Amino acid sequence: MAEKKSAYLLKVGEEFEPLEFIVTPELNQQYLYAEEDFHPRYIETTRNGPGFVHPGILFNMSNNTRSPSFFLPPGWGEIHAGEETEFLNPARVGKKIRVTWEVIDTYEKKGRPWHVLDILIVDEDGIQIMRRKMTNTFASLSLRNQGE
Amino acid sequence: MGRINKDAPIGSEFAGKPKKMSWERLWTFSGGPFTAEGWPKKNLHTDTEFAKKLGLPTIGASATQYLGHLTELMIDLFGESWLWNGKFSDIKFIKLVAEGDTLTSKAKVVSKEKTGSEMEVRLNLSVENQHGDEVLIGFAKGFVPNA
Repeated sequence: MAEKKSAYLLKVGEEFEPLEFIVTPELNQQYLYAEEDFHPRYIETTRNGPGFVHPGILFNMSNNTRSPSFFLPPGWGEIHAGEETEFLNPARVGKKIRVTWEVIDTYEKKGRPWHVLDILIVDEDGIQIMRRKMTNTFASLSLRNQGE
Repeated sequence: MGRINKDAPIGSEFAGKPKKMSWERLWTFSGGPFTAEGWPKKNLHTDTEFAKKLGLPTIGASATQYLGHLTELMIDLFGESWLWNGKFSDIKFIKLVAEGDTLTSKAKVVSKEKTGSEMEVRLNLSVENQHGDEVLIGFAKGFVPNA
């Protein structure tokens, strides 16, 4: 089995393995509780179809830590530092969602590696749901001690 | 219809309802699907030891959790059309959100511009904790009918 590459070592143009998942009513309701947002638009089926997927799921499941290929050594973590988001279409409960990630910038600041990712979320019909530009840095206690 | 319309004065301020970042809601948001084996998944949002190994004093909420709060406020202001054309820009997460903090999403109208049949409304955003400290700053852009 190929050794996984630490996330902070990925270069510009490299991608994390895509994630596919289905938003069931139960998964949606899990996030409605987490977000304390029980609006009927996320629960009720209308003539236009099932309820909307709560955007909190889309944000959370499109963090690159959700990619099957995401890896960091023990004691390392990724910190979300910045965000740009374009909402393109609502996602519907019951649809399969696909998330892709591409590294579009890397740099070092204050002794830490930083990454900028282009993230695209589409549904099973090819409808674009959300586009994100996510800025992350990486942290570990050893890195922190080096900086002190 | 949302709470903002084309006549909203520059400087108008809006806020969402305060939300407590309890253990239950942090685990539910960041622990993975309930059906996953070993739920909740251990990470810096769910496991104190994991967080301390990274040099953090305690677990912190995922920034995407309060991006969700902000999105709720945007839909309240612009209506569901936000889900088709809303934009967040220059969002920066500037302070750790610890378990037990209470967060409030805030927005202030900073500019308006006619774009055909619509009015583009730009907002200054923040999320503040119970001490009044900003944990998130940034901007949003949404559209309202110009008729």
